[in-house]
Amino acid sequence: MSTGYGHPLRFGVLLTPGGSEPEAAVERARLAEELGYDLVSFLDEPAGTDPWTLLSWVAARTSRVRLAAGVGPEADPAVAARAAASLDLLTDGRVELVLSTDGADRADGVDGADGRVGDVVGRLGEAVDVIRGIWAAHHRSPLTFDGEHHRLEGAERGPAPAHNIPLWVAAEPRPGPLHPGLLRLAAAKADGLFLTPEAPEDPEAAIDAAADGLSPAPGGPGAEIDAAAEAAGRDPRELRRLARIAPRSGPAEEWVADLLALIRAGGLSTLLLATDDPGILRRFAEEVAPALRAASGAERSQVKSVFVRRHRRDGIDYDAVPAALAPTAVEPGDAGYARVRSTYLRGGSPGLVLRPGTPGEAGQAVVFARTQPVKLSIRSGGHGISGRSTNNGGIVIDLSRLNAIEVLDKAARRVRVGPGARWSDVAAALAPHGWALSSGDYGGVGVGGLATSGGIGWFVREHGLTIDHLRAVDLVLADGSQVHADEEENAELFWGVRGAGANFGIVTSFEFEVDEAGDVGFAQLVVDASDTAALLERWGAAMEAAPRDLTSSLIVGRAQLGQPLIGQIMAVVDSDDAETIVNRLQPVAAAAPLLDYSIQVLPYEEVMRVGHGQHDGQGEPVTRAALADHLTPELSAAAARLVASGQTYFFQIRAVGGAASDVAPDATAYAGRSANFQLVAFGPSRRGLDAAWDGLLHHFNGLYINFETDLRPERLHDAYPEPTLRRLRALKRRYDPDNVFRDNFNVTPTEP
Amino acid sequence: MPDYGHDLKFGSFITPGNASPQEVVALAQESEAAGLDLVTFQDHPYQSAFLDTWTLLSYVAAKTERVHLSGNVINLPLRPPAVLARAAAGLDLLSGGRFELGLGAGGFWDAIAAMGGRRLSPGQAVDALSEAIDIIRGLWDADNRSLFRVDGTYYRVDGAKRGPAPAHDIGIWLGAYKPRMLRLIGAKADGWLPSLPYMKSLDELAAANATIDAAATEAGRDPSAVRRLINIGGRLGGPRSDRLLTGPPEQWAEQLAALTLEYGFSGYIVMADDPGTIRAFGQEVAPRVRELVAQERGGVPGNAR
Repeated sequence: MSTGYGHPLRFGVLLTPGGSEPEAAVERARLAEELGYDLVSFLDEPAGTDPWTLLSWVAARTSRVRLAAGVGPEADPAVAARAAASLDLLTDGRVELVLSTDGADRADGVDGADGRVGDVVGRLGEAVDVIRGIWAAHHRSPLTFDGEHHRLEGAERGPAPAHNIPLWVAAEPRPGPLHPGLLRLAAAKADGLFLTPEAPEDPEAAIDAAADGLSPAPGGPGAEIDAAAEAAGRDPRELRRLARIAPRSGPAEEWVADLLALIRAGGLSTLLLATDDPGILRRFAEEVAPALRAASGAERSQVKSVFVRRHRRDGIDYDAVPAALAPTAVEPGDAGYARVRSTYLRGGSPGLVLRPGTPGEAGQAVVFARTQPVKLSIRSGGHGISGRSTNNGGIVIDLSRLNAIEVLDKAARRVRVGPGARWSDVAAALAPHGWALSSGDYGGVGVGGLATSGGIGWFVREHGLTIDHLRAVDLVLADGSQVHADEEENAELFWGVRGAGANFGIVTSFEFEVDEAGDVGFAQLVVDASDTAALLERWGAAMEAAPRDLTSSLIVGRAQLGQPLIGQIMAVVDSDDAETIVNRLQPVAAAAPLLDYSIQVLPYEEVMRVGHGQHDGQGEPVTRAALADHLTPELSAAAARLVASGQTYFFQIRAVGGAASDVAPDATAYAGRSANFQLVAFGPSRRGLDAAWDGLLHHFNGLYINFETDLRPERLHDAYPEPTLRRLRALKRRYDPDNVFRDNFNVTPTEP
Repeated sequence: MPDYGHDLKFGSFITPGNASPQEVVALAQESEAAGLDLVTFQDHPYQSAFLDTWTLLSYVAAKTERVHLSGNVINLPLRPPAVLARAAAGLDLLSGGRFELGLGAGGFWDAIAAMGGRRLSPGQAVDALSEAIDIIRGLWDADNRSLFRVDGTYYRVDGAKRGPAPAHDIGIWLGAYKPRMLRLIGAKADGWLPSLPYMKSLDELAAANATIDAAATEAGRDPSAVRRLINIGGRLGGPRSDRLLTGPPEQWAEQLAALTLEYGFSGYIVMADDPGTIRAFGQEVAPRVRELVAQERGGVPGNAR
């Protein structure tokens, strides 16, 4: 058996917080990090600095070391849970919690006859339930808890911490057995037992006490905790054993030998050295810890706790997840699940989210996912509509960590961008160079899904589609291999990536040639849309007649009872000259009576700026999409009837044309080059919207795949007229014959 | 009267959202860089979309150097006063005297009860806050060797060890609107911190000031012992308008100077989560207000206590 039940050996320090001079404690914590300790914790002392405050401060002044905070029986567990999750989010997952009886188990009558001790243990047990309940943010129901000690009446859950915060139960070993209630609490509900012998005069006695406390010998408490874990349906290897140790003098070899005996006897995997003496901290780190690490062996196979495993889904072999992906993978029982399960518009409950950090890992993820008999979805920014990017019970490959943005060639304005970057990040990264890349109309959208299909953004009429700026890509294919594609190398694949890319693999990096950009005019106009048809027709005519430095979009919502129907026009003029901006906007503003407006001159990056919120979509979006060459009187009237019918609650038309139409229809897989307009409708019902939209089809000339959720095979022909579709199917047969990448606007290898 | 003659403080009120914690920290650092004196966060521990305010204050204090920090305002019902006092003193010591204690009696009792907190009537909550202030000040009084006991209706302290003492005289600022709370401010607090959007009119501000002043006088305090701060919102930028705080920095400065000279306010906390507003408030509004107020006071700025 390995020394610590498979857990790697860790070393920590237990510091006193200091009363009026807490800065000294901060300095010791920083020293501990510098010396390579894994963990810092502070004791709670009367009139000492509040340990949680101190730990939060230390969190901001350190970067790597983990931070263990105490939760005593008097703490409010709901507030403590939220505070711990907050610090864990601020530190990207460095928090651990120690549940402590604050010495109550030290009192007489530890055999459980003393009601007070049992009471404290009971309180802590309920606190664990409340803490885990608050962290379970993926449950949509509020937390109600009716305990003897704690009562919650429908508290909001969340936030989920950044990682699975381990909970240690602190117990003081002494002659005689550990308090049986504490032992059961640790075994049934926590992640480990932390032995905290008071540091007596004789350090060896302390070690003996700790060793006695955890000895796995038959009948000893170590065996008891194993048995208690098994009784609670857990693998004893889930539980860590931690111990506080006292400093000692004498030769380092003796210290090493004694601690090694302790580690082996107690199955310990974490030792916390209780001292404030920098000399001792240094001596232990330099002379003792390395020898213990070397001697304790390297065999490690950590077991996920039952609190995680119990949420696993059928059909996924979780233990077979490649080692490189396991540390960042998120499964339903993990803390970070609430943040990755759903997307911007769609609720999901995948069984496993893989988060590769390199193209090689993305390849491993694909190879692994193919062996699992469940759905596979690929996610870049999580705004996908046709690219679904979540599922129920399947696997998601989340590319958010592949988000690098780098300049390759300043003179040529050549940049390389990862699929997981968001367009707001791209805009912010390019702005200092005086550059911009037209993407979509919203900065929260991810690069991967947009740059493989089109990209109808704020400079589309002036600079074309996003894919028109693409010069090369690197992909991971369905067999996990990596290829490069550009106009020379794998040119046909490069053609297909620009309009149907999600079907052939995962693009792990995009090389773009970007444009120069200064400040722009950004306008938001509110117009009376009562005469919807006239508005569409006039706005459409104004856009077709406009110089290419103007791009705009028009949204018509659903009429609210008793209020006039309004239209919202957003427009960007690529100019910082007020007169030019106003001149460009006037014809657009004249499309209907103007109710309100705002015009700002601001950097493009500010138009694209959005906060990095968490996606929590629910349900399933119902949309239809189309491209149209002109907003003819007939189309405008039909669209007005659609809006009036109530079958769409969000109807948007974006201007395209201009530079996007300069590119030949067969130059890329995006064939709809003649279109001056791109339309999308979101509806409350699939059947209702389809029936209404199908009646409009004769007005359209193609569709933009990113906004389409209709799964009928005819849509494929709308988006990809021949010979485009034939070429795409040939590519599909060559690169993804088994249709691994199908949870998108899917080009099937053959005609269905 | 008013114009109590205090030096002017300008601050930010940043939403402590937990979706992207480092953006919140960055806005606090942006506030410091913009020359603001104060960064504040609301405290609603029952709100799952927010970071825990105490944790955030501690973390941000360690990530800034000069700016002062406060809850706006700390939710007393879910933060026991004895723990709060010690935590506040600790944070003040760690930050070199940069912590201020904005404190509130609590208001959303359903949410507080949902978290396992105690439900109080508004009147009880004022009494509880009064007891809490006594406990907090008693624990900060580290030089006092006497055993500390408070046998209150809502909070009890039974012989706790006092200390640590904070690094500076932490201001206790109460968020308050109703007469009982206002009288408590006059009697015991160092500041009043309402939100302008909650006030029906400027007359209401004047009336509240008068209530505070009368209570202070009754308690044997100088009304100027109570600083008046206020959370403000509006639109900073764009054309001038006849509305309060809707216009360019010059208009804001004129209106805030009037609030100082005519209504006695000396702390302005802008409710904004965008760096542009924070920068403009710190760099364009604050210096102009100071200038205008100094001119009117006819002396050098910052002549107060």
